[in-house]
Amino acid sequence: MRLKRTLILMLAIMIVVVMAACSKGNNGAKESAPSTESTASDSSPSASDNPSDSASESPSSTGLDHSQTLKLSVFSTTANYAGPQIGWFAKAIKDKFNIELDIVSSNLTGGDTKIAAMMASGNLGDIVIWGDDKNNYPNAIKGGLLLDLTKDGLLDDYGKDIMATYPKAIEKAKIAFGGGSSVYGIGNNVASNPSGPSEGKDMTWGPDLRWDLYQKVGSPDINSPTDYLPVLKKMQELEPKNSQGKKTYAFSLWSDWDGNYKMTLAKQFANMYGYDEIVDTALYTKADEEKYYDFLSEESWYMKSLKLYFDANQMGLLDPDSLTQKFDDVVAKYKDGRLLFSWFPWLGAANYNTPENIAAGKGFATVPFKEEVMYSTGFNVYGGNGIISIGAKAKDPKRIMEFINWMYTPEGAMLSAGSGTAVPNGPKGLTWDLDAGGKPFVTDFGLKAYADQQNTKLPEEFGGGDYYYGANQMNFSFVVPAEVNPQTGEPYDHNLWESSIKRNPNAIESSWREKYDALTAKDYFVKNNKIAVAPQGFTGKEPLVMDKTLEQKNKLIGTVIQQYSWKLVYAKNEEQYNKLKQEMLDKVKGLGYDEVMAFSIKKAEELFEARKSVK
Amino acid sequence: MTEPSILVHASKPKGYGRGSFRKLPNKYKLFLMAFPFLVTTFIFFYLPISGWIYAFYDFTPGIPLSDTPYVGLKWFKSIAQNHTQMEEVLRVMKNTVAMSALGIVTSVFPVIFAILLSEIRTPWYRKFVQTLTTIPNFISWILVYALAFTLFSVDNGVVNTILIKLGFIDEGINFLATNSNVWLTMIAWYWWKSLGWGAILYLAAITGIDQELYEAADVDGASRFRKIWHITVPGIIPTFFVLLILSIGNFINNGVDQYFAFQNAMNKDSIEVLDLYVYNIAFANNFPFATAVSMLKSLISIFLLFTANSMSKLIRGESII
Amino acid sequence: MRKKKSPKDVAFHAINYALFGIFTLSCIYPFYYLFINTISSNDLSAAGYITFYPREIHFDNYVNVLKISGLAHAAYVSLYRTVVGTLLTVGASAFLGYLFTKKEMWLRRLWYRMLIVTMYFSAGLIPWYITMNNLGLTNNYLAYVLPTIITPFNIILVKTFIEGIPPSLEESAEIDGAGYTKIFRSIIVPLITPILATITIFSAVNQWNSFIDTAFLMTDTKYYTLQFLLWRYLNESSSLAALIRNSQDMAASVQHMQTPGSVRMTVTMIVVLPILIIYPFFQRFFVKGILIGAVKG
Repeated sequence: MRLKRTLILMLAIMIVVVMAACSKGNNGAKESAPSTESTASDSSPSASDNPSDSASESPSSTGLDHSQTLKLSVFSTTANYAGPQIGWFAKAIKDKFNIELDIVSSNLTGGDTKIAAMMASGNLGDIVIWGDDKNNYPNAIKGGLLLDLTKDGLLDDYGKDIMATYPKAIEKAKIAFGGGSSVYGIGNNVASNPSGPSEGKDMTWGPDLRWDLYQKVGSPDINSPTDYLPVLKKMQELEPKNSQGKKTYAFSLWSDWDGNYKMTLAKQFANMYGYDEIVDTALYTKADEEKYYDFLSEESWYMKSLKLYFDANQMGLLDPDSLTQKFDDVVAKYKDGRLLFSWFPWLGAANYNTPENIAAGKGFATVPFKEEVMYSTGFNVYGGNGIISIGAKAKDPKRIMEFINWMYTPEGAMLSAGSGTAVPNGPKGLTWDLDAGGKPFVTDFGLKAYADQQNTKLPEEFGGGDYYYGANQMNFSFVVPAEVNPQTGEPYDHNLWESSIKRNPNAIESSWREKYDALTAKDYFVKNNKIAVAPQGFTGKEPLVMDKTLEQKNKLIGTVIQQYSWKLVYAKNEEQYNKLKQEMLDKVKGLGYDEVMAFSIKKAEELFEARKSVK
Repeated sequence: MTEPSILVHASKPKGYGRGSFRKLPNKYKLFLMAFPFLVTTFIFFYLPISGWIYAFYDFTPGIPLSDTPYVGLKWFKSIAQNHTQMEEVLRVMKNTVAMSALGIVTSVFPVIFAILLSEIRTPWYRKFVQTLTTIPNFISWILVYALAFTLFSVDNGVVNTILIKLGFIDEGINFLATNSNVWLTMIAWYWWKSLGWGAILYLAAITGIDQELYEAADVDGASRFRKIWHITVPGIIPTFFVLLILSIGNFINNGVDQYFAFQNAMNKDSIEVLDLYVYNIAFANNFPFATAVSMLKSLISIFLLFTANSMSKLIRGESII
Repeated sequence: MRKKKSPKDVAFHAINYALFGIFTLSCIYPFYYLFINTISSNDLSAAGYITFYPREIHFDNYVNVLKISGLAHAAYVSLYRTVVGTLLTVGASAFLGYLFTKKEMWLRRLWYRMLIVTMYFSAGLIPWYITMNNLGLTNNYLAYVLPTIITPFNIILVKTFIEGIPPSLEESAEIDGAGYTKIFRSIIVPLITPILATITIFSAVNQWNSFIDTAFLMTDTKYYTLQFLLWRYLNESSSLAALIRNSQDMAASVQHMQTPGSVRMTVTMIVVLPILIIYPFFQRFFVKGILIGAVKG
C-alpha cells in the first residue's frame, strides 16, 4: 500500500517537474531576449577598434550618437541571403551609421512556416521586411509585434525625409493598417510623382521573337496574338533544329509556377491587352478603365490563350514536354536556341542574347502586335505592397529609423534603388559617377559589374567581395528605381540614364530601332500610345480580404482550373477540347465559383475606387 | 551503457536509496526504470499535441489564442462542405486506399530481397549489392523526378529515342503525363527507391536466426527452399508482422514528396492522395485547417493501428502492441 | 557448400546473382548520372545533354560548395549530433525495448501503447516550435539530441528482436539472481547486436540528414549543421531563380550562377558519399551466424 502511495506521489512529481520545466522554459525564453542584446553589446567594444570617426563624419542632423556599433537583426520574408550583410553595402552603412545587419531569411529557412514560428515566438527582430501586406503583416500588428513609428516622435524626428517626400505612403500606412493614427510600416517602391509607366527600359511583356528568323520570313505584320502562329510556323520551318540537332518549338510552357490559381502562361496575353488579373480571383480588370471580365468567359484572353496553345500544339509548335518540365528546363532550352517565342524580355533575350549569339546575328527582340496595349504599373505614391517595419522589441529604434529614412533619400536610392528586382547602381566613384554636367554615367568597371554580378570582385576600400553578395541583401526596394532623382534630373535606375541608353547598340538593337523608330521597347509603347498605365491608388479603407472559408473554396477552384487548363491545351481534337471546357465550367460552379465571382466584383470595385485617389 | 546510472540519479532525489529500490517488487522496479523515459516521451511527444487546440479556433500565429475566435468544428466540416467537394474527397480517398493497399501487398518485397541476398555466398558481391542498393533512398524525390524526366521525356528522352530508333514507335510517348497505370508506376518507383534500405531490417532479423537450425537441416538433407521456408521465414515473420501492423496504422498517410514531384494535370486524378490533396489546398497558410486534418488523421491512424492489432490477436493469437 | 552443387543450385545462383546485378546497376546509374552532371558544363546539363558521359568537365559546383562560410564548424556540429544523438537513442532504445519485454512491469501495456501511438501524432511545426521554445531548447545543442532519445520505432524493433531470442538464455541468468540491469548488460546486449547495428544506422542517418530543427530552433551560426548549410545553399539558388523572373537585367547578370538543378545534384552527391563510405563497416554485424557464435564462444 505504501508503495502504491509513493507511486502516485511520483506521478504527481512527474507532473510538477514537467510544469516546472515549462514555466522555467518560459522564463528562459524571456531571459533569452536580453541575452541577445548582451551579445550585441559584447561585440560593441570591438567597434572601438574602428575609430568612431565615421560617426562624426556622418552628416546627419539628427544628433544621434553613432559611436557604438549597432548590430541589427533583419527578418526578411523576401531575402535570398542569410547571414551578416557583407561587401559594398555593408561598408557603406557601416561608415555612415556604424550599423551592421544580420539577415534572417524565411525563404531559405522554412518559408511560410518559418514566418509563423517567428510570429508565434513573439520576437521578429529589429527590422522586419514583409513581401506583401496581406495576412502576416496585419496579424503582426494585431499581435503587437511591430513598433508604432509615430511613438516618441520617431518619424517626426528621424524620418523627416520620408515624411517630406512621400507623405502619401505614411497616410496609407495610417489608414490601412494603423487605425488612422499609427504607422507600423512603410511601403516599397514608393514614388513621388503619380503619372506614367514605372517600368525600367523594358516592359514586363513583349512578346519577343527570334528577330533574325522573323526578318528572314519577311517580318510580316501581326495584328493579334493568333497571327503569331503562322509566322512562327514559317520560322520553325526555317530552323527546325538547333545547332545540336534538337527540335525547335515556338512555345515551351512550364507548370511549376502555377501556384497562383491559374495556368501562369495563359495569363500573359491578357496583360498585352491592358488587362490584369486581380490575384487569386476570377476577374481581369483593365488598367486604365473601369472594365472587367470573368476570366473563364469566351471573351477572356485566358480562355483564348488556352485555345491558342491548343492550336499551336496541333501545328507542332508546342513543346510536347511542356506539362512535365520545370521552369529551369525551359530556361535551358532558351539558352540552347530551341525556342522561337518569348512572352517576356527577361526570358528569351536575357538567356539567348549572349555576346556569341549576337555576334552571329541571332537574338530575341520585341515584336509587338497591332492590337497590343501594354499593361503598365503606374508610379505608386502610396508605396507598393512590400513593407518595412521595426520590431516591437527593437534595440535603439531611433537609429534604425534614421537608417531607414536614409534609404528613402536620393543618396540611399542612388546606392541601392531596386534592390531585389534590378541591378542596383552601387557605390559612387566605383560603378558610376557624375560627369561635369552633373549627369550620372556608368563607369567601365560598372558595366562589367552589372553584366556579371557574381564574378566581379570589388576593391577592398569599397568593402571587397563580389558585386552580387555586396548588394543590399534585405531585398527591399525602398524607392522605385524609375523615379527621377531631383539632384540629377535623371531616374535612379542606371539603365534609364541617357548615357546608358545611347551607348553603342548591337546589330539586333540597331535593326530593331530602325524598324520601330524607337530607342527601347518602353519608348515604342509610350510613343505609339500603346500603353495602359494602371494608377496605383488607395481607397482609404482597410483592404477587403476573403474569409477563410471562401479562401479555401477558392483554392480548390484554383486547382481545378489549373488542371483543366493543361488538359485543354493538350486535348486531342476540337471535340475533346469543348467537352473538357464544359467539364471545367461545371466543376468550378459546383465548388462555389459564383461566390468567388461576387467577391471578385467587390474587389474590382475597390480597385477602381482606389484609382480615383490618384487621378 | 550509461542508462542505468541515469536511472539511479533520477530516483535518488525522490528518497530512494539503493536499498529500498532493491526491496521493491519487480513490477514497480521495472516501472521506475522506465519512468525517466516515459517523462521524456511525455515532454517531447505529448506536450506539442496541445497544439491541436488550434483546430477549433481561427488561429493565426502571432495573435494570442485568447484573442482568437472559437469556431468549434468549422474546420472539420470544411473538409467536405458541398457535393462537388465530397466527390473530390472520395476520389482522393480512392487513390489513398489504392496506394496504401498496393504498398501493403508489396511489403513482402524487402523480405524476398533480404532472403535472396542472404543466399548469396560471395561476401564481396553481397556487400556490394547491399551497399549500392541503398543509394536511391538518399536521392530526393525531386531529383528522382528530374532523372525520370531525362529518361522518359518525349523530346530527347533516352527511352523514347531508343524506341523510335528501334522502330517500335513513330512519335514519342509522354510516359510522365498519362493517367493510366499511375498507381503501378508510383509503387514501382517507390520500391526502386526504398527496397535496398527497407531490407536492412530483415537482414538484421535473418542474422538473429540460430545457425544450428540450418546445420541440423543440412544434416537432414533439406532443400534450399525448405530451409528458407521452415527456418528463415519463421525467423523474419515477427519483424514482418510488426512492420505490417505499423504500416496499417499509416494507411492514410502516404506522404507528399513522391506524389508532388510526379503530379501533373494529366495524372492528377489518380495521383492525388490525401496528403497531397491537403498540401495542394491548404498551402496558403491555413494553420487551423491543416491542424484539423492532421488531428483527424492521427485519430484515424490510431484507430486503424488498434484494429489491426486486435485482428492480429484474433488471427495469429498474439498482438503486437 | 560441402556438397557437390546440383544443376538446380547452379541455376538458382546464376539467376539470383544476375537479378541482383541488374537491380544494383539500376541503383548505381542515378548516382553516376548525378556525378557526371555535376562535373559537366551546367548549361549542357540543364539542357539534358549529359546522360552517359561527362562533357566540358569542370569542378565549379564543388568548389562553390566549399566556399560556403562556416562549413568546417558545421561539419563538426553535424558529427557531434550524429555521434551523441545516436549513442543516446541506441542506448535508450535498447534498454527500454528490453524493459518492455518484461510482462511483469506495472501497467506495461499502457505505457507501451502510449509510446507507440506517438508515432502517429503530429500537431505540426508551430506547436512543436512553441514547445521547444518553452523548454529553452532554442540555440542549444541539447535540442539536437534530447528529442530523439525516444524513438518509438527503434524501441519496437528492439523489443521484437529480444522476443525472438530463445528465452532459455535469459532464464538461466535470472536463476543466478542477476538484476535486470545486469542481465541487460551481460546477456541481452551481446545478443541483440544486429538490431542495434540496424538502429544505429537508422539514427545516424537521420541525425546526419536533419536540417529542419536547425532552421527553426537555431539562429546563432555556431549551431548550424552541415546539412542545414547545404539546404540553405540549395534554397538560395532556387529562390534566386524565382527572383529573376521579372527582371531581364537580373536574369542576364546572374546567369553564371549555378542552376538550382546543378546545386541540388551537387548537394546530393555530398550527402550520399559519407553514408556510402560508412555503411559497409556496419555490414559485418549482418553476417549470418556471427551472433550465436559470439554468445556461445
